[in-house]
Amino acid sequence: MAIADKDLAFHRRLKAEMDFWVNEHIITLSQKDQILARYTMLDAADKKTAPGKLITTISILGALLIGIGIILFVASNWSQIPRWGKLSMIFVSMFLSYGLGYYARYEKGNYPRVGAAAIFLGSMIFGAGIFLIAQIYHITVHYPNGVLLWSIGIFPLAYLLRFKTILSLAITALLVWLGMEASFWVPGFSFGMRLAFVTLYCMAGLVLWMVGLMHRGIGPLRTISSPYAILGLVLAFSGGYILTFDVFREGMGSPELLVFYLPMAGIFLSAFIIYVLTKPAERAWVAESLSLLLIMAILLYLSLSYTGFPHLYRGYREGGVPFLMQSVANLIFAAGIIGVIFLGYTRKSIAYINVGLLFFVLLIIARYFDFFWKLLPRSLFFIAGGLILMLGGIILERKRRQILASFTAGRSES
Amino acid sequence: MKIKFIVIILLQTILLTCIIAYRQYWVATGEKILLKSAPVDPRDIFRGDYVSLRYDISSLDLDTIATKEVFAPKDKVFVALQKRTDGTCGALSISKTMPVARKAFIQGRALGETRQSSWEVEVKDDSGTIHALKPAWFEGSKIGDVVVFCVDEKNGVINFYKNDSPYKPSCPTQRTITGSVESITETKKRFLNVEYGIESFFVEEGKGRVIESSRNMGDLKVGVSLRKDGKGIITGLIMGNTVLK
Repeated sequence: MAIADKDLAFHRRLKAEMDFWVNEHIITLSQKDQILARYTMLDAADKKTAPGKLITTISILGALLIGIGIILFVASNWSQIPRWGKLSMIFVSMFLSYGLGYYARYEKGNYPRVGAAAIFLGSMIFGAGIFLIAQIYHITVHYPNGVLLWSIGIFPLAYLLRFKTILSLAITALLVWLGMEASFWVPGFSFGMRLAFVTLYCMAGLVLWMVGLMHRGIGPLRTISSPYAILGLVLAFSGGYILTFDVFREGMGSPELLVFYLPMAGIFLSAFIIYVLTKPAERAWVAESLSLLLIMAILLYLSLSYTGFPHLYRGYREGGVPFLMQSVANLIFAAGIIGVIFLGYTRKSIAYINVGLLFFVLLIIARYFDFFWKLLPRSLFFIAGGLILMLGGIILERKRRQILASFTAGRSES
Repeated sequence: MKIKFIVIILLQTILLTCIIAYRQYWVATGEKILLKSAPVDPRDIFRGDYVSLRYDISSLDLDTIATKEVFAPKDKVFVALQKRTDGTCGALSISKTMPVARKAFIQGRALGETRQSSWEVEVKDDSGTIHALKPAWFEGSKIGDVVVFCVDEKNGVINFYKNDSPYKPSCPTQRTITGSVESITETKKRFLNVEYGIESFFVEEGKGRVIESSRNMGDLKVGVSLRKDGKGIITGLIMGNTVLK
C-alpha cells in the first residue's frame, strides 16, 4: 500500500500525542513503544523523505523562477514577438500552469505540493498578463489599477483553494496598490508627507491584523487567517516603531487621504464586530481586539487632527509637546510588545513571540542610541552597547528556548 | 470545486480580455493626432525598458495661451489643439471644462503651476557694440557691472561671471563677450505642468537609449488616438521614417 502525505502527518501527530499520554500516565513508555512498533514503515518513510515544507519551498521557488523567466523573455524579445504572440504566451502559460497544477494536486493527487506551486505560478502569470497588456498599450508607468486588478483577480482563488501563498500575494499586491494610489492623492508629494504614509501603513497593518482575527473566529476561514495576522502584525509594528522616534513635530496625515482612512476604518470596524459576534474562544481576545481598536482610534486622530508642533528653534529632547507625545508613543509601543509576547505565550503562537522579541530588540537599540550617544564617551558607548546586546541576546535566546520548549510539551493551537 | 476553479480562471481570463478589447477599441476608433516629443530613458521595475516622454504641451505657458483660470494640482484640464505645418499639434487654449466646439482637444491632469523667469541682458563691449543676450538666469549682477559671457555660435549663453569675481568657470567654446551691463529685463511667466497619461512608451531592453539618441539627431513624434472625452492612448512612435508600435 502506498504511503500518502496524510499517513505521515498521522504518524507525526500520533508520536506527539503519545508524549502527552505518557506524561499524563494514560499509557506507559513500553506501551508507547509497542504502538509505535506497528508503524515502523511510516517511521522509515518519514525519515527518508524530504520534509514537506522543503518541497513546498523548492516548488514555490521554482514557480517564481519560471514566472520571472517568462517576463524577461517577453521583455528582451519585445519587437520580435508580434502583439498577438505576446498575448497568446500569457494566456497559454496561464492556462497550462493552472491546469497542470489542478491536475497534479486534485485530479491525480500524486504531486500536491508541486501542483500548489503551479497554481501559485498561474496567479503570478495572471499579474504579469495585466502588466504586459499595460505595456502593449503604453499605459502610463504609474498604473496602480493594474496591481489592484491583480489582487482582486486572485483573492477568490486563495479563498477557494485555501492557499496561504496566493493569499499572501494578493494582500501584498493590495498593500503595493495602497502606496501607489495614495501617492496620487497627496498633492505635490514631499519629504514632509512621509509620516502620512507611516500612519497609513500602520493603519493598514491594524486592519489586516483585525481581519486575521475575524478569519480565526470563523471556522472554515481559520486555516487562512495567518497571512492576514502575520503581515498585519509586522506592518503595524514597523509603522509603530517609526512613531517611537522624534517625529511629532510635523503633521502625520492628510485630509486628501480621507478616501483611504474611511474605508479602512469601515473594514476594521466590520471585522471587529464580526469577530466579536463569533464569540471567540481564544484567551485574552477581548484585550487584544480592544487594544487594536484603541490604537486604530489614536492613529485616526493623528492622521486627521494632528498638525504637528513645528518648534524649529527647539533643540532635540528639550521637552515640550512633541517629546511628551514621543514618550507616550514609546510607552504604547512597549505595552504592545509585552502584550504580543504575552498573547504569543498564552496562545502558543511562535509568530507573535518572534515579532514581539524582534521589535523589543529594535526598540532597545533605538532608545540606547537616543539617550546615551551624547552622554557617554564613544568608546564606552560602543563597549557598553555591545555588552548589553550580547547579554540581551543570551537572555532572549534562553527565554525563547523555554517558551518553545513549553510549546512542544503542551498542545499547540496551530 | 472543479467547477468553481474553472469559473474563477474564466473570470480572470475575461478580465484580461476586457482590458485588451477596451484598449483596442480606443486605438481603432479614436481621433488620430501627432504630438512633438522629447524622451528620456528611465527603467520601470515591472515592465522592462520604456521611454519616458515629455511633450511640448506638457508645460504650458499660461500667459501666452491667455487663460485667467487658476489650476490646482490634480485638476482635470482640457487642452484645445491646433495643427501646425509639420503635422503635429500644439496647445491653443486650456480650460477646466470640456470644449464644446468641434476641435481636437486632449484631456490631462494638472501637476501644478510653476513660475519661471526669462532674462534679457544688454551688454556693451569695449568697441561700443551692444549685444542682446538671453542667459537662463541672471541674478547677483546689476547695471554697470562688467561681466564675461561664454557663448556658443548663436550667441547662446553657456555661462557667465563678473569680471572681478574670484570664480571664473572655463568656457568650452572659447568664445566670450566681455562688457558692461546696460540693461536687465526679467520676464516672469506662469507655466502649468500637465500629465496626459501618455508619458511612457515601452520598448525592448536597451532600445530606449537608441530612441533617445535619435531624438537628439532629428525630430520625434508620437501618434496618439483620442477618445471622445479627450483621453489619449499612444498608437506609435515616429522617428524619421521608422514607426514603432
